[in-house]
Amino acid sequence: MQITGMLYGSRLLRHVGFPATEILGPGASEDEIRDLIERHQTIFIKPLFKGGIGKKGKAGLIGKAQDLKTALAEKERLYFAEHRHGNAVAKANGVTFEAGVPAEHEVYFSITDDTRYRAPTMTLTHKGGIEIEELDKSEIATVPFDALTGLKAFVVANALSDINASKEVISPLVQQLPKLWELMHHYGMTTLELNPIRMRPGKGGRLTPVACDFKCGFDRDDPRVARLGLPDHLFASDISAFEQEVNLLRTHQGQSDVFVINDQGTILAPTFGGGANSLVTEVLGDAAIISSDFGGNPPYEKMKAVASICYRHFLKQTNVLFIIGGKSNNTDIFETFRGMGDALREHFSAHGPTPLYVVVGRGGPNLVRGLGNLAETCDALGLPYRFFGFDSAISEVVNYAKDVDKWMRGGGRAEIARLIGASEAV
Amino acid sequence: MHKPGIEGIPYYLGINSLSEIATRDDTVVVLNAMGGESRQVTPVSHAFSGGNVVFGVSPGRRGQKLPTPAGDIPIYNNVREGLEDGHRFNTGVVYLPPSGVRDGVAELIRVNPDLRKIVIITEKVAVHDAREIRAMAQANGVDVIGGNCLGVADSWNRVRIGGALGGDHPDESLLKGSIAIFSNSGGFTTTIAQYLATEGWGTSTLISSGKDVYIHYGARDFAHALKNDDRTKAAVLYVEPGGYYERGVDFGKPVVACVVGRWKSKLTRAVGHAGAMAGSGDRAEDKEDWFIDAFGTGGLFTPEDPKVSAKGAVVTNIAHIPAALTAVMKLNGVETDFASTGSLSLKPWMSNDQGLTLPADIDLPPVAAPEPYGTQIEVIGKQIGAVIARQTMKDKSGASSMDPKTQVTSVHGKSVLEMALEPLEAIFALPLVHEIADDNARALLDVAVAAEVNLVGDPALVAAEASREAGNSPNVVMAAAASIIGPNRIDRALACARTLITLFAQSGLRDGQDTGFDASGIAVDAEARALFAADDDEADDPRPEAVLKAVAARGGKSVFIDFLTGLGIRLSRDALLAAIATTIAWGPLLRKRITRLTAETLPWYLRLYGVMIGATIPAEHHRHGSLWGIPRQERFEHWTMADLCFLAMTGKKPQGEDALPLQMLIGLLISNGPGSISAQGAKGAVAADGPQTPSRVQINKAMIGFLSHSGYSHGGNGFEGMAMLLEEFKDTGLADPTDPGHGLDLKAMAKRFAEAYKAEKAAAKEVGGEVRALPGIHHPVFKGNQVNYDPRERFLAEYLEKRGDYNIFLAFYREVVEAIYAVGATRNVFCVNVDAVIAALLLAILWKDYRAGKLSERALETAAFTVFLYGRMIGSAAEIDDHLNRGRNMDTRTPVSACGFVV
Repeated sequence: MQITGMLYGSRLLRHVGFPATEILGPGASEDEIRDLIERHQTIFIKPLFKGGIGKKGKAGLIGKAQDLKTALAEKERLYFAEHRHGNAVAKANGVTFEAGVPAEHEVYFSITDDTRYRAPTMTLTHKGGIEIEELDKSEIATVPFDALTGLKAFVVANALSDINASKEVISPLVQQLPKLWELMHHYGMTTLELNPIRMRPGKGGRLTPVACDFKCGFDRDDPRVARLGLPDHLFASDISAFEQEVNLLRTHQGQSDVFVINDQGTILAPTFGGGANSLVTEVLGDAAIISSDFGGNPPYEKMKAVASICYRHFLKQTNVLFIIGGKSNNTDIFETFRGMGDALREHFSAHGPTPLYVVVGRGGPNLVRGLGNLAETCDALGLPYRFFGFDSAISEVVNYAKDVDKWMRGGGRAEIARLIGASEAV
Repeated sequence: MHKPGIEGIPYYLGINSLSEIATRDDTVVVLNAMGGESRQVTPVSHAFSGGNVVFGVSPGRRGQKLPTPAGDIPIYNNVREGLEDGHRFNTGVVYLPPSGVRDGVAELIRVNPDLRKIVIITEKVAVHDAREIRAMAQANGVDVIGGNCLGVADSWNRVRIGGALGGDHPDESLLKGSIAIFSNSGGFTTTIAQYLATEGWGTSTLISSGKDVYIHYGARDFAHALKNDDRTKAAVLYVEPGGYYERGVDFGKPVVACVVGRWKSKLTRAVGHAGAMAGSGDRAEDKEDWFIDAFGTGGLFTPEDPKVSAKGAVVTNIAHIPAALTAVMKLNGVETDFASTGSLSLKPWMSNDQGLTLPADIDLPPVAAPEPYGTQIEVIGKQIGAVIARQTMKDKSGASSMDPKTQVTSVHGKSVLEMALEPLEAIFALPLVHEIADDNARALLDVAVAAEVNLVGDPALVAAEASREAGNSPNVVMAAAASIIGPNRIDRALACARTLITLFAQSGLRDGQDTGFDASGIAVDAEARALFAADDDEADDPRPEAVLKAVAARGGKSVFIDFLTGLGIRLSRDALLAAIATTIAWGPLLRKRITRLTAETLPWYLRLYGVMIGATIPAEHHRHGSLWGIPRQERFEHWTMADLCFLAMTGKKPQGEDALPLQMLIGLLISNGPGSISAQGAKGAVAADGPQTPSRVQINKAMIGFLSHSGYSHGGNGFEGMAMLLEEFKDTGLADPTDPGHGLDLKAMAKRFAEAYKAEKAAAKEVGGEVRALPGIHHPVFKGNQVNYDPRERFLAEYLEKRGDYNIFLAFYREVVEAIYAVGATRNVFCVNVDAVIAALLLAILWKDYRAGKLSERALETAAFTVFLYGRMIGSAAEIDDHLNRGRNMDTRTPVSACGFVV
C-alpha cells in the first residue's frame, strides 16, 4: 500500500498544513494548463502510476514545458507510459501537471522505522533532489528519535547544524518539517519521503519549503489509514482480484497472507507458517500458484472460506493440492484440515470434479484426526493422496510434491480425470 | 531515552544470559487469558512450566478460572485487581487483539514496578503501536519479546512463556541439549528443534522472535545473552529478509544461520513492509553474505558442498541445519548431545492411490508413524469404508447432479451419455460401488442378476401378475413384485455380506478378485458356517450349483466364492449372492469410495434388480429351468443384462448387436438428478423410514417409492414420440427402419407434417387455445443460435453415425425441425431432443413386430414405459443408497412456512 506522486501527496500534506506545489490532475482542461503555465512559467508533466515505483526521472519519464503545445505533447507521450524498475513493471494511466518551483535549495526528507535503531528515524539533507545514495555520508543526517515525544523542532535543528546546512533554510525547515511526523505517525504510515522539497523564496527573501514529490507507504494493519478516506482503487494495482478477495478475510486471528506467484502454476500450496511459506515458495519456484501463510490457528469457518476462494480461482489448473507446514505449535490440524476438506467437497459439488493429487506435510495438535478427516474427503472424492508427518523433512516433501506434479503433467492428470469422471483431460 | 541496562549496550537490555529468558522463578500474567488462543495454549504452558502463571486478565470475567492440568488460573478484570489481591509477577504475556496491545503493554508497565519482561504473541500489531511499545519499554527498563511471535522456552528449565513452542506436547520437541535457537518463524522454532533431535542435538533456550518491522528482542540482543550462557555451545538462527538486525553481529559462539526468502526479490511487484521502498540491502542474498563473511565459509553449506568453518555455516534449507551444525561442531571438537533419534527422509504416514499405478519414484509405501501417532493411524486404518457426514438431503444428492448448461446428468461422476455407451452390466453396480465395473465384476454381476430373474414359484411373480391383470401400469407391476422382497427375504444374504466383510476386514486383502490371496488364516466359526450353508428346504434349489458353474464358465474370479467353496459345505443362493456382491464392492470399500453400509446392502439391490426385471416378463414365461424358453444354464453362463432386458421387452433372444440400442436407452434414462419426481419418491421413502437408523430402512420400499412416483406423465410419456412417429409412418410400408435405402421422401413427409402443424397452431391461436407441444422437439433452451442442438442428442447421433447405424425416425425428426422452421411455424431451428432419440431407437427395435401385428399400440406404450423403469431403477438405487448414507430422518419434509393453501 503505497502512494507516490503529488496528485494525492498534496492532498495528504494538506492534512498537516505542509506547503505543496500546485498540481492539476489528468482531467485538467487546456485553459487550466495554460493558466498554470502563465502563473508559474515552467510546469512538469509526470505519468501517474499506482503504487510505488522509483526512479522516474532517470527513465526520462518526467516532462517539462513552458508552453501549452509542449505540455500537450508531453501529456500524449507519458499518458500510458510503461516503467520498468527491477522486476516491477508499471503502466501509467494519466498524467499530472505540476507547477515548477524556482529555488536555490532542494532538500531531501524522509521518516521511516529504521531497524538499526528500532526507532522512527529522520533522514535529512539540504542537498536533495538527487538520489540519496549518491551523497557523501557527511552530507546526510540520519537521526533516530523517540516515538513518544515525536519529531521535535530541536531534532531538525540539530541535524541541520550537523550537516552544515545553509543558514537561510534552517528556520523554515525547523518550523515545517515536524508537521510531517504528525502525518506519518497519526495516519498509519510506515514511511514518508519528500524529495525534493524546494525552498521557494517569498517576500523579503524568506524561504518556504514546498513539497515537489511525494512517496509514502502505509501499514495495512493500521486502522488509522482509514482516517485519510483514500479511495480503494489507489491500492488496486497492488493486488490481484484473488488477493483482494482473500484479504477481505484478513483479521488478527489466523493469518491470510497470500499473493499470487505464478497464475499459470500447477501446484496450489496452502502453507502454514511464515517459515514454511518461505521455504515452500522458494523450492516450488514457478510451479507454485500462490505464496501463502495461513498459520496462526485460523478457526474452521475462516479456513474454509479462504480455501474456497483459493479453489475457486485456481483449482481448475491445479495438479497438486499441497497442504504444507512444519510441526505447528497451536494451529489445530483437525480444524484447519476439516475446513480445507469441506471446502474441497463443496467445490466439487458446485463445479464438478477436477483431477488432483493431494500431498500433505504437517505436524501439530490433533494431527492424526486432521489427516484422517482429509483422507476421508479425498476418498469420497476419489482423489489419490499421500500424507507425510512431521518426521519427513519439509523440503523433501516439497520436492515430492514437485515430482508428483511432473507425473501429473506427463499423463497422471488424465488418468485421474478418467478415474473421477472429470470432464476435462488436460 | 532509555533506562540504563547492561553496560556497553547503547540501549536498554535487561537479559544478560539465555538462562534468564525463561526460568522457574518467572511469574507470569496473561492478558486476554480467556481468548481463544490463550485458552488452548496457556494451560499447556502452565503445566509444563510447573505452574508459572499467577493470574490471567479478561475484562468482565473476574472470578472465572482457567482450568489447567496444574490447577486453575484465577481471572481478573484488569492487572491492578490481581496485584491488589496480592499476586506478584515479573513477566507479562500479551494475547490481546492488535488494537489493544499497546495499551495492554502500557498498563503492565504502569501498574507493576516489578515487571521485567513482556512477551507479545499478537500478530498484525500496527507499526505505529510497535514504535510506541519500544519507546515505553526502553524508557522503563523492560525487555520485550515479539510481537507476532510464539514466545520463549527453555528445555533445561522446562519452562515456556507465552505462545506454544513445542505445541501441545512440549516434551516431544524441547529436549535438553547445548543448542540455542533464535528464529524469525514461530512454527520453525519447534520444527528446527525437532530436526536437530534427529541428528542428536538438544536445545537450551528457544526464542521465537517474530518478524514484524520492530523485532523487540533481536539478533544482537540474543548474541549478547548467548555469549553469557554456559549451557549453550552453539546457536541456530533462522532468518528472513528485511531489516538489519543480524548485520555485523558478533555471536561469540558457533552459529548455523538458515537464511530463506531469496524468492522475494524475484517478485514482479513490491510486497510487504516499508523495506520495499525505503530500505535496500536487506534481501535474503544480502543476509546470506553477512553471515558468509562473518563465518568465512566462502559460500553456502549444502550436503553436496558442505562449506563450514569453526565459526559457523550458512544454509538456505532448514533440513540441512542438523548436518551443518554437526559439521561445524566437529571443527570445534564437540560431540552431539545424544544419539540420533531418527532421520528426515520421506515417510508417508497415510496414502491411497485409488487404484492408480504410480511410477516407482513417487509410489512410496506408507511407513509406520512414531508413537503415539502410529497407534492413532492404525485405529483409523481398521475402520474400513468411507465415512460420510449426515445432513439434510432434501432436494440434494451426493450421487447425481445435472449440469444446468448442457442438461446432462451425471451419477457418481459418470454422465448418462458415457453410461449409454457402457454395457448394462458395467453400470448396474455403478450407483452402489461408484465405479464402472471391470470385466470380472461384469461377469459376476451377470450371473448374480440372471439367478434372480426367473420368479417361478415365487410369491413375487404371483403379486406381479395379479397387478398386471388388474390393469396397472408397468411401474405398479414392478412395485408389487418389489414389495415381496422385504427384509425377511434378504436378511440372510445381508448377514452373509456383513460376515464376509468382517472376516476379511483386517486380512490385508486389497482386491476381491485376487484369487491368489491366502485366506487360510481366516477362521470361520460354526455360526458363520451355518449362515453360509443351504438349509434343508433349499435342497431342491438347483441355483447355487448353477451359479458356481456359471461363474467358472465365465472365468469369474472371486476370493469370497473361493473362500466359501473351501468351507466344504453346500452353499446357499444367499451366500453366493453375498460373495459376488462383496467381490464387487471390496476394492471401492477398501479405497473408501463407498461406506461399509453400502457394501453390506449391495445384495438387496442386486436381488431387486433381478426381481424387477423378472416382473416385467409375463408369468406364463417363467418356468422351472427356463425363462421365455431360454434354459437356465444358458442364461447364467452366457447372457448379459442387456440381453435379459431385451428378452423381457421383446420376448426374443437378441442376435448380434440387437440389444445395443436398448442398452443405450437405459443408460440415457438412468437419472435426471435429485429433482426428478422418481428420485424424490425414492428419497422420500428413505427419509420416512429414517436413514439415521439404517437397519430400519427398507430398500425394496424405497424402490417402490420411485415406482409409485413414476407414471404415464413421468416415464410413460416416452410413448408420445413413438405415437407421433407411428402416425406419420404407419401407412408408408416401411419395412426396416435401419435401412438407409428405405425409398421414402422424408423431406416431403416432414414438409407435410410442418404445414399441418402450422395450420393447427394458427387454428389454436384463433380460438385462444393452447398449442400442442411436439414430443421430442425442444424449444431452444441452448439459447441464442439460429439452429439449436441438444448436446445429448448430438452425442448419441454422432456415435450412431460413426458406427454406420442408420435410424429413419431420427432422420425424420431432423427434417421436421428444419421444415417447421422453413414453413414459418417456429422462429428458429428447434432442437431434436433426447426424447426423440429414445422414441426413434425404441420404435426401430419394435417396428417389425408392430408391423407384423405381434405388438399392439398398448404394448408399445408398455415397452416405452418399461425401458424408462429399467434405467431409472439404476438411478434410483443411487439416490436410495446416497440418502441412506447421508440423509437425516424425515429430512425431505417441506417446512410449513414454505407450504401454501389454495382455494
